Amino acid sequence: MNPFVSVCMWLYRRLAQAFPHEFRIVYGADVIQIGEDAVDGIWEQHGFFGLLHLIGDIAVRVPVEYITEMRRDLIYALRTLAKSRGFAAVGILSLGLGIGVTAVSASQFFGMILRNTPGVEDPDQMVMIQGASYPYFEHYRDQHDLFAGAAAFQNAVPFNVSLQGANAKAERIYGHLVSPEYLSVLGLKAARGRLLSPDIDKPGSAPVVFISDRFWRNRLNSDPDAIGRTIRVNGQPAMIVGIGPKDFLGAMPFIPADLFVPTTSPASLAPELAGDVIHKRDVKSFGVLMRLAPGVTPKAAEAGLDAITRNLDQETLDPARNAKGRRIQILPGGKILPVPRETLPIITGFNILLNGLILLIASMNLANMQLARATARRREVAIRLAVGASRFRLIRQLLTESVLLALCGGAAGLAFAYWAANAFRKVKLPYSFPVNFDITPDWHVMLVTFAVAVVAGVGFGLAPALAATRTDLASTLKEGALAQMRGYRRFGMRNLLMVGQVAGSLTLLLIAGFIIIGFDKTSGVEIAFDPNTMFLVSLDPVRDGYSAEQAANLFDGLPDRLKHASDIQEVVLATAPPFSPHAGIWNLSAPAEAGMPEQLVRGVAKSVIGANYFAALNANILAGREFDLRDQRTEPSPGKALPAILNQTAAQAFFGNREAIGRRISDTGKSYEVVGVVKDLSAPMSQTGGMGSGTIAIVPVVYLPFTRNDFAHPPGGGMIVMIRARGGADAMQSVRAEIATIDPNLVLFNVRTLTEQVADTVSYLRLSTTIYAGIGTFGLILAAIGLAGVTAYSVARRRKEIGIRMALGAKKAQVLRLVLREGGALVAFGCVLGLAAAYGLSRALAAFSNIFGPTFAAGTKDPRLVFGAPLLLAALAMLACYLPARRSTQIDPLKALREE
Amino acid sequence: MPRRDPKSFLPLKTNWFHILLSLAGEEQHGYGIMQEVLDRTGGKVRLWPATLYGSLKRLIESELIAESEERPAPELDDARRRYYRLTDFGRRVLDAESERMEELVRILHRKHSKRGLEAL
Repeated sequence: MNPFVSVCMWLYRRLAQAFPHEFRIVYGADVIQIGEDAVDGIWEQHGFFGLLHLIGDIAVRVPVEYITEMRRDLIYALRTLAKSRGFAAVGILSLGLGIGVTAVSASQFFGMILRNTPGVEDPDQMVMIQGASYPYFEHYRDQHDLFAGAAAFQNAVPFNVSLQGANAKAERIYGHLVSPEYLSVLGLKAARGRLLSPDIDKPGSAPVVFISDRFWRNRLNSDPDAIGRTIRVNGQPAMIVGIGPKDFLGAMPFIPADLFVPTTSPASLAPELAGDVIHKRDVKSFGVLMRLAPGVTPKAAEAGLDAITRNLDQETLDPARNAKGRRIQILPGGKILPVPRETLPIITGFNILLNGLILLIASMNLANMQLARATARRREVAIRLAVGASRFRLIRQLLTESVLLALCGGAAGLAFAYWAANAFRKVKLPYSFPVNFDITPDWHVMLVTFAVAVVAGVGFGLAPALAATRTDLASTLKEGALAQMRGYRRFGMRNLLMVGQVAGSLTLLLIAGFIIIGFDKTSGVEIAFDPNTMFLVSLDPVRDGYSAEQAANLFDGLPDRLKHASDIQEVVLATAPPFSPHAGIWNLSAPAEAGMPEQLVRGVAKSVIGANYFAALNANILAGREFDLRDQRTEPSPGKALPAILNQTAAQAFFGNREAIGRRISDTGKSYEVVGVVKDLSAPMSQTGGMGSGTIAIVPVVYLPFTRNDFAHPPGGGMIVMIRARGGADAMQSVRAEIATIDPNLVLFNVRTLTEQVADTVSYLRLSTTIYAGIGTFGLILAAIGLAGVTAYSVARRRKEIGIRMALGAKKAQVLRLVLREGGALVAFGCVLGLAAAYGLSRALAAFSNIFGPTFAAGTKDPRLVFGAPLLLAALAMLACYLPARRSTQIDPLKALREE
Repeated sequence: MPRRDPKSFLPLKTNWFHILLSLAGEEQHGYGIMQEVLDRTGGKVRLWPATLYGSLKRLIESELIAESEERPAPELDDARRRYYRLTDFGRRVLDAESERMEELVRILHRKHSKRGLEAL
């Protein structure tokens, strides 16, 4: 035979063997035969190309046949699922939730942590640090071996902006106060006009402002002549010199910025610059953005900066100068949400763990249900095997069903993710400035979701498919559908799955519970009076055009004046609303004294409050006194210690169990004398763990009295006036009237009751709690469904045995006990495993991260949870066992035996 | 099986048409169909083996043809081969396709003769 023809036929036969099993059984021999018959004719007629065509034809046909089969599998699967709607609904719902939770974390991950800041060039080269002073920044900027450029900025800075012209009404617009290099360090390309520049924008030159594309479109109506136009910023004229590219909202778009005002502006335009902060080493109110020099890693930059900062601290006599440990923590500078590199694996790990657990439970549950269904479908499977379907083919068929179900679940999950994104967007985060928390799923998320769905589908489908097709044809077909079942196996797959599921569900329930109770304990706001009687009002006279002197005079007399209005019980000033998260943390120290070394306390929140603050809140002073008007009017002078009040946590941190009153603490050269210790007012959330990580812990708080300087330069969110009214009275009317008599131009904003304020503060937590509670409940329900299925299966399997027992005189109660014993053992075993797993996991998480530490510490000690959760789960599980078990007592012994 | 409209299969795929046409006269096995089509078209149309059996499978599923239970006389029979026959429904589909083609040809003729008349 011609060698070409022999090779061709060899290949042809091989390919013919590759047809799908069913096709091969029916047509395989014919296809080979016809090929052998025709090949000589083809060679004669078409030559070499004819042989190629012969091979090509069959090579195309093989995959086509597979695709056809898959399509048929899919249609069959759709029909099967449509027939068992209950199963499909439970499957889609549980997988939907499991995949949905995964999609939400994936959205958060891709949309915020991994997403690059729009408009920034080469964002991976950007790093940032927070809490630096301007002179420090200038040192950093000069490190040319480390950085190609550096810029200082303050974010969430409010500006009262009015466009010049008719009825110019001021609007509060948030922006960044930036060193002139800021935009060029980011590598920004201005859409119009020019960037800010250190060469042009110098101290003393005419005030300028750079605006965002969004501001230009929404506020200036895309004015083509915007460049060169003058707007009023905080009452001062400033010229627009440039417009940013589309979507650029600053280096931290998490807190969007529309206005970029250079630090070279006068303090009248940017009150944040008052008091010559640009030259003060101890005012650490700036963030520093740095572009790494080529070849410098963030780690190297961090080490370099740390050394420089240490030297600078020695020169400045920073109180923390001798402290051990890192001073500088570098954050990614080109990402939407700057999460420290160190916390990233913990946050991600926790999410993957939790999501994995949820998915695993959902999958195990579905695997169990599939196993039960496989038993019912044994006859169908046997018939198909008997008429020539291959086992592989049937497994594929069953897997198609699982994957289809999982894909539907994936679609439901994406819907859930969209819902969650929407819910998160509606929730008001507890910040005075706008926060852009956008976790709408993108294509990355869809891809992840799809992959997860397929993996889950194959994961929970494979074992049942293998089990279903491992069947003894003859006996299954000969006897009833239930006749051929495997005997009881203590360590059978079903039982292992069940134990796994109970354990997983309990772990989930406990972890969710730990978090919820932890939130509750650390965030519960205990207010000792009716919060509806307290009003909060913000005032920002500096941005209403007041000079520093005028502002200081206003605030000094304001509480007294307002107190004389009718129905007002108490008026107190504060820089932040009570019970709100602390916006920044500092390192303070208690100086060394007899026998005690210097005690540095990290992560201290500072809260500046007016006289009678705690009285207004009905808060317990545990020792000493609170501030009065004299403290407020004392001028700070060198050598004279200002009074300070500590919360319990701070007193413990600084002085342990020693008496705190009369002792000193120091902060960047300033010394304070502790005059009082107050009960911990709750701090629902602080930013200590990095923005958005939702740190939950009670932080040490040092309360400081207002000084004239504080009054002259109120904080960015305005001064908070807390007004306690006599019950039932509409105090706001008289407050408004009184303030109007002082100055009709003073703008009152953010008027709300304390109830509303607290609700806003905890709304984010409440949403998290709702989600965790949902996850816990979900685990519980799934465990119950799974157990009911297993018990029903077990009852069906032991039908004959039960029939014999009853025929021999067993009582119903005895039968019931027999059936329940098995379920009970599974539940007990699962509970023990689940408890152990939950403890292990929470320990591990708490040890790895200070984010979860306090939360878990609070939760794991709660007896409600430690005993309640397993009991609840066990009770529900036993109920789920009982319902199908009861059916066992209704077995008619005669009937059961006759089926034999 | 509900009654189906033969027209729903039109226009027939070329392969299907040739197969149905081959089976219109007598029952055939695969190789026979292939040879017949080759002879009938003067070697221009060759049904390649894998495509042929793929089409046969789909034609059976669509009930246009069926596997024949009758075998030819033993001396002519090749025991290894399956024989196929046209079903009644398949015949109706083939008729409908023929009609469709005839109609097309008629239209073509009409156009040609019109043009011929104009040329005169």
